[in-house]
Amino acid sequence: MKKKTSEKTRHVVAWLNKAEWDQVLDYLYSKDPALQKHALHRISAWKGRFGHNTPVAVGSTADLVRCQVLDSSGQVDGEALVLLYGMALVRFVNLITERQQKGVARPLRRLASKMNIPEWIVNLRHDLTHHRLPPLKWCRKGCSFVLDWLQQEYWSRQLGSRLAEDWDSAEEEEDEQEWSKRQEEELALRQKEREGYKRARELLISYEREQFQTYEELMESGSQGLWPEPSADLSWILAQITHFNTESREILIDALVQDGFLIPTVDQLESLGIDTSEGAVDPLTPSLPRVFLRFWLPLLRVLNSPSFIGHLLDKLLAELATEPANHRSFYITAWISEILLCNSNRQRKMKRKDKIFSNRQQFRWQHLISACVNAPCSATPYLLQQILSDMDEPLPSDTQENLLRLCSIYTQTGNHGNHSPGNPDPTQPVYTLQSLQERLRGGATPHKHAPPTEDLHEHLSPEVLQERNSALRGSAWQVCTDRVPWKLYPLGKVPGQSEDPSCLMLETYTTFTIFDQQVELDKLPQHHGNPSGLVQPKTAADGPLWTHSDISKLKAGLQLF
Amino acid sequence: MKVQKVSPRSTHVQPNATKRKNKWRLHNRRALGLNSSDLSPNSTFAKVEHQLANREKSHLKRLKKLHAKRIILSLEDSSSVKAKDRDQPGTFSHVHTNGGGTELEVNSNSEDSQDWRSYAKSVLQNGVECSAGQESPDAASPEQLEEEELQYHAQLDRSHNRTILVMQQGQTLCFRGKCLLTCLYGRVEVLGFTIEEGQQPYPMFSPPSHCPLTITALGDNSPTIKSRKEGRLEAKAIIRKYLSTEPRKRLLSEVDADSCVVLLEPLDTPLTRFLTSFTELNQLFNLSAKELRSQAAIYNPALSAVGVTALRGPFGRGLVMSQSYRQALSSLLSAWAGEFDRCPVILVCGAKNSGKSTFVRHLINSLLNHTASVDYLECDLGQTEFTPPGCLSLITVTEPLLGPPFTHQQDPEHMVFYGQPDCQSDLDRYLDSLKSLWRYYSGENPVIINTMGWVKGHGFQVLVDLIRFFSVTHVVQLSYGDTPQCQSLTPEFMRSAHGFQTHPPAPPTLGDESDNHATARNHVLLAVRSEFEGAGSAGETRHQRSNELRDLALLGYFSQLQSPEPGPIRPLHCFVPYQVPHSAVAIGVTHCEVAPNHILYAANASLVGLCCLGEKVSGRGGPVLLSQTPICQCVGLGVLRGVDMSRGLYFVVTPVSPMVLRQVNCLLLGEVTLPKALLTVQPGVEGELPYVTTDYSFEVKGAGKVHVFKGLMRPAFVKTKTNN
Repeated sequence: MKKKTSEKTRHVVAWLNKAEWDQVLDYLYSKDPALQKHALHRISAWKGRFGHNTPVAVGSTADLVRCQVLDSSGQVDGEALVLLYGMALVRFVNLITERQQKGVARPLRRLASKMNIPEWIVNLRHDLTHHRLPPLKWCRKGCSFVLDWLQQEYWSRQLGSRLAEDWDSAEEEEDEQEWSKRQEEELALRQKEREGYKRARELLISYEREQFQTYEELMESGSQGLWPEPSADLSWILAQITHFNTESREILIDALVQDGFLIPTVDQLESLGIDTSEGAVDPLTPSLPRVFLRFWLPLLRVLNSPSFIGHLLDKLLAELATEPANHRSFYITAWISEILLCNSNRQRKMKRKDKIFSNRQQFRWQHLISACVNAPCSATPYLLQQILSDMDEPLPSDTQENLLRLCSIYTQTGNHGNHSPGNPDPTQPVYTLQSLQERLRGGATPHKHAPPTEDLHEHLSPEVLQERNSALRGSAWQVCTDRVPWKLYPLGKVPGQSEDPSCLMLETYTTFTIFDQQVELDKLPQHHGNPSGLVQPKTAADGPLWTHSDISKLKAGLQLF
Repeated sequence: MKVQKVSPRSTHVQPNATKRKNKWRLHNRRALGLNSSDLSPNSTFAKVEHQLANREKSHLKRLKKLHAKRIILSLEDSSSVKAKDRDQPGTFSHVHTNGGGTELEVNSNSEDSQDWRSYAKSVLQNGVECSAGQESPDAASPEQLEEEELQYHAQLDRSHNRTILVMQQGQTLCFRGKCLLTCLYGRVEVLGFTIEEGQQPYPMFSPPSHCPLTITALGDNSPTIKSRKEGRLEAKAIIRKYLSTEPRKRLLSEVDADSCVVLLEPLDTPLTRFLTSFTELNQLFNLSAKELRSQAAIYNPALSAVGVTALRGPFGRGLVMSQSYRQALSSLLSAWAGEFDRCPVILVCGAKNSGKSTFVRHLINSLLNHTASVDYLECDLGQTEFTPPGCLSLITVTEPLLGPPFTHQQDPEHMVFYGQPDCQSDLDRYLDSLKSLWRYYSGENPVIINTMGWVKGHGFQVLVDLIRFFSVTHVVQLSYGDTPQCQSLTPEFMRSAHGFQTHPPAPPTLGDESDNHATARNHVLLAVRSEFEGAGSAGETRHQRSNELRDLALLGYFSQLQSPEPGPIRPLHCFVPYQVPHSAVAIGVTHCEVAPNHILYAANASLVGLCCLGEKVSGRGGPVLLSQTPICQCVGLGVLRGVDMSRGLYFVVTPVSPMVLRQVNCLLLGEVTLPKALLTVQPGVEGELPYVTTDYSFEVKGAGKVHVFKGLMRPAFVKTKTNN
């Protein structure tokens, strides 16, 4: 349901575009038989596309307009016209009210009155089916009334802007089925997700329990700082978490950044012997207490694939964007800083014991910067500094300078100018985060960001093309060799196609009749039949068993339109 | 919770944990050092060996086929009974033991058929045992059962991302998901098909739209010279070959001579990638909502790493086979073994959702254990097995069917495009199309005729026709519930039944002679009662509705366009199309009358059948329109991607190979349409999509299709109905 408000459902319809719809509507109600005929012909094509999904209103309108066209032609006599009108009217009344039926049949009159269809139309219908046929005059009257009704209730309400706002409650047709299906899918997905979260929490809690135990043992033995290699239990848990990670990484990461895991609670910190008082930490240069880092190190080390780290970083930054400055934001920034530190070129040269991962990873730097400035907090300048100094292709130094300055202005940490005495470029002041990002984007190397659809387009290698064309040589078929970016042309559209709804009309065509239609039954295999045969099964296939149908079919096949 | 459950075991190991750790580290170091040189040749060697084994197997299969064919030929050439008797056992035993060919001294016909009878019986008994086993859980304490079920001995080989599963004889694994299965040791059975060690890997698909697949370990019951010990050692050697020390240990203790060792690999094909690229299908191979809700999944990391989720409890029972189901299956198997004059012609019929398709798949798989190929005549337009819906076809099946239809779409040797998912609108064309297909039946293989679920009125008459046309030898009639869905198609009934095109034979006038004929034509009727839950009612969860399954079949079909190499999934509009002049191919609509001038409005961006007319098509300018619907060979389907009006060209996107496409001179349009998703999701396109709108409101009166309110009761009947 949520989805629908944000994004309208796309329906497949029989008309190419709104222009075609408008044209058909105009012609149907034009009162000019030639135009009406044109519209009827187009609707015959629509029916071909829609199949049994043709809207009731479209079908009824076409039936009724056809009656009017035949009537005006003067070539059909009155009695025949009554039958034609009659069928069209009966079908309209029955089909249009069918949707109102629920469980037990209800009188048409009551259903019709709910739909603003007057009683005399329903009576006309009853006369047509149960009583003496009504006079042609009444049929014509009924027909034109119903056509007006259809115009008002269906044609002018469809594809107009008028209804755009009550779209949320729409889709009676697309319908209970579809809707319940979607409901169910969502439910299943949610259920799965819930279970995933439950499991992730379970795993992480058992990990914490194990680690706390190790920590306590450590404290008792007094050998602070040196954590032992993972125990068998812990290895097992780690293996489980790794498995879980391969299946549902996002859930695991979501769970990790919840309070009580990577973001420690005060209780947890105290039990790890970490000072939790106000002044113990510096929110400007956040860093993790070593004990706490070591606590999580075994887990992070087994998970440290580049994509995991990337995801975690993204998630942390995303979380940070929604956090006010507090305990949580401190630990989030501390983790970000820790990850950046692990990756940093300078730090890599120094030997560090407590590293989460050891191989340098390729972050999406541009993305990282915008994520970082999108989540401003007191530590942002610090983090930004780390990022900037560590990029593979560093930004121009003046850009870096501006960025940092602006950032510290924004976060009001102020002291930035001290260790960056550089020369701010006064000609190009950067005032807002937005313009800053724009500038960043402008300065970024654009060739890296090729549109993702680029490789969607099929490129046939010369060999494949050659192969296909030589297989087709001598036939009318060939591989299209026009230099057309097909990915830009949706199905049903080709280069140079006009928007005019008449663009696919045929002026000339050839009718092709097949004479070799009958299935030659004497060609049926002999051996599968019982050799002793009964009513001379195979060989007497030209007997009365089936061939007459072939002939009749041939006759029936010669139909005109 | 599960973590705790297992932890006792690991604490048990703790005393020597440190030791192991050292080893572990050592191992690691070694692995790092030798990584490129020492380890990889080993694994490549294993791979080559594996491939070799595969090749050998496929070779074998081909041999088998040749063999089988030769016999049939000899049957036809010289009807010498002796030659037949000598050859026949040869084929069967050959096939039966899959080339193992150890003790094949069966020379006499009687002995051979005995062999067969016993096999058929074993199928039957097997089933009986199973059903007994199914009932016993109720007696046994459920917890115990649970405990047992959780024990799947599977280990993941992380470096190759594949899992080794050890199963004890008789153990079953009922699962959701998809994987590639290779039997490394012993024999396993899946939906009637037996997979032995040394056979090629088989893809399995078990999406929640269908009854889950069950892998059953049969153990190695071929009487061999191997002792138990040798068998055990062999199995252990196989495990060693595939697993590193750490995971290996946990499995080795479980292996015995009669266990089965199975290799499961993740299955990632163009088909699965294409299907799951649609957001509404990305859960296609996961558990159904109902299974999730009742927590039917057994958590096993090694299995889930390769895409398999084991099911427990009532969900893990898999296919429910009734007694009559098994009996029918076994008598059909023995019919194939026992009859030498002609191959059985088996017609399977029954009302909608009575389990026809599953029975047919099971039967084909069972037959493929004994013969290289089975023929299949598709008469069910709505739920086609090998082709997109709306097509009738005759196909020779050589590979087992271990998944629903949308996972094995292909272009059959002979196909006719009918164009609609049901045959009601033109029964004559339907029957004539089938007759035209039947001309191509070789008579060399057993043939299975799958029919539609329409068994009332004309639908029933059509069934009568089909039985007469194809001289059916066995009719399998499925039913469910207490009241039969239609009359029983006994030979007696057939003597007086009127079909749609055929009539009962004239009453005997010549005495003896015609009596003989009548008895000779009799078929065997096998009545099967379906007893699975929900028999007779349409599936309601996602991907079970017939229109969704049709869309899936079409998506499966068009997934053949995707390149086999991993890469981006291409939407249909991104493919370079074929082009053909308007005047070179005829175009026609099968299911309704479309005004000729407007026909391209129906054809543009539509699904088309690519057909071959016998006559040459050449237009005198402009497109060539068919005046009636032809019955002709269809080589596949395509999408009429666009029409170039100025140059007079059709653009067609199709997976049909160019060699075949060159013969196509007719495009047929049907009521079967492209799945909506192919039109509504076309990434990369800017601007409006043709035939797609967001502004159509179904709330407006008359906006929906003709709605048939089924089961509408007349007020007068309400009382009596409820009383019943």
